[in-house]
Amino acid sequence: MSDLAAAGQSVPAQTAFRVLVVEDDPDMAKLLALMITQQGMEAQIVCDGAGAIAAVGDSPPDLVLLDVLLPDMNGFDICRRLKADPATALVPVVLVTGLEDRDSRVLGIEAGADDFLQKPVRREELLARVNTLRRLHETRRELEARRLAAEVEHAEALQRAFSRYVSPRLTARIMGGAAGDAPFKTQAERTDVVALFADLRGFTRITETIGVHNVVDMLNEYFSVLTEAAYQHEGTIFNMAGDSLLVGFNVPFTQRDAAARAWWTATEMVSRFAPVSAEWRARHGVDTGVGIGMARGEAIIGNIGSPHFMSYTIIGDTVNTAARLMQMAQADEVLLSGALYESIRPLLPADRVRTRGEVALRGKSAAIPVYSVKL
Amino acid sequence: MGDDAYTVKIAKDLADLIPGYLNNRRKELESLRTALAAGDFEQLRQLGHRMRGVGNSYGFERITSLGKEIEEGAKSGDKDSLATHIAAYGDYLSKVQIAYE
Repeated sequence: MSDLAAAGQSVPAQTAFRVLVVEDDPDMAKLLALMITQQGMEAQIVCDGAGAIAAVGDSPPDLVLLDVLLPDMNGFDICRRLKADPATALVPVVLVTGLEDRDSRVLGIEAGADDFLQKPVRREELLARVNTLRRLHETRRELEARRLAAEVEHAEALQRAFSRYVSPRLTARIMGGAAGDAPFKTQAERTDVVALFADLRGFTRITETIGVHNVVDMLNEYFSVLTEAAYQHEGTIFNMAGDSLLVGFNVPFTQRDAAARAWWTATEMVSRFAPVSAEWRARHGVDTGVGIGMARGEAIIGNIGSPHFMSYTIIGDTVNTAARLMQMAQADEVLLSGALYESIRPLLPADRVRTRGEVALRGKSAAIPVYSVKL
Repeated sequence: MGDDAYTVKIAKDLADLIPGYLNNRRKELESLRTALAAGDFEQLRQLGHRMRGVGNSYGFERITSLGKEIEEGAKSGDKDSLATHIAAYGDYLSKVQIAYE
């Protein structure tokens, strides 16, 4: 057992250490195989080079004991071939040879042999060499298992972090690498977005009349419903403060149908929240609803903040407009900027659309056309 | 050679392999004799080389030393030396005794 295994670390279940014995003399092959199997290892015998290459190709062994003089090929060539193939390059090869000259040893080293065993073979020497390579092999396998486990743990931690902001499907895209480096860009960039702000109507009355513990539970229920709606249409949640939620579309990845997704999210938020609102009315006697403001245009997206606290978010005029529209929206009403309205007009229920005319929004110099959809 | 020279101590766990091993050595002896009669020095060299490897691996030091002589004799084309050592091999195989330990 290696030190790593002895330290009680979790390692994958060990299968028997497999040794391929490549030897054309049947007595020598049987002797080597017997010594190997007596140590609890598995031994497979092949008697020529072609058999060796086929056996390694079928299932790479953990070690090859390779005779140098074989009827069809020499052991140096076989060793060179195994070491040149990435699939078998790490399989240790011990050249078993009766050749005593220095040139043969050099040839073996050049061919990539990991060790040499001189014929006649001494049992103690054979086992010492094989066991050394076995320990190396086991340690390497344990380290590889740990590296893989660490990679999985890292990926899961990243996935947990991303899933706080983006839908499971977008998280999967990020983790799968299909999204490139978009969410990791350190420099902010200007891009076209659809911003959706949602806010809980009747919240002030809730905080005045209901105990604080209940308020937290109710807010969690409300945010759960809205988050599920946003994730259903692959929106990215950028901010959750008080009782309002900011969801962005077309960020961090391009969504050709970003405006439609925002609209579907808005209707989903209202319809999902309706039964929750009805239950609150029955239980607490409060009237609640979701007010939504949406706008389309340019925004700045990036990691914004200080070295101590940073937030991946969107800012700019479009976001401010959506926020102002949300403030104006009644319960179960969606207010849309003119630009957004024009891009999704065919999707909207015509009988519920009303124009609010040109509206001067607080903090903005020019009035903008605003449309209302009562859901 | 005294009787002790024909007694070989072999590890008990190799006992199952020894009959087959000795049988193959007798076949090897025939091959050596045939090759010598034919003057096939390359065949003699290969057989001697194999004897060197497989002899003492099982504990038969004498087979390894005879193999070395035969391999060298084949390389130098020394027929007399080859005949002497092949005869010695035949003598050894006919008298060898195994003591398992």
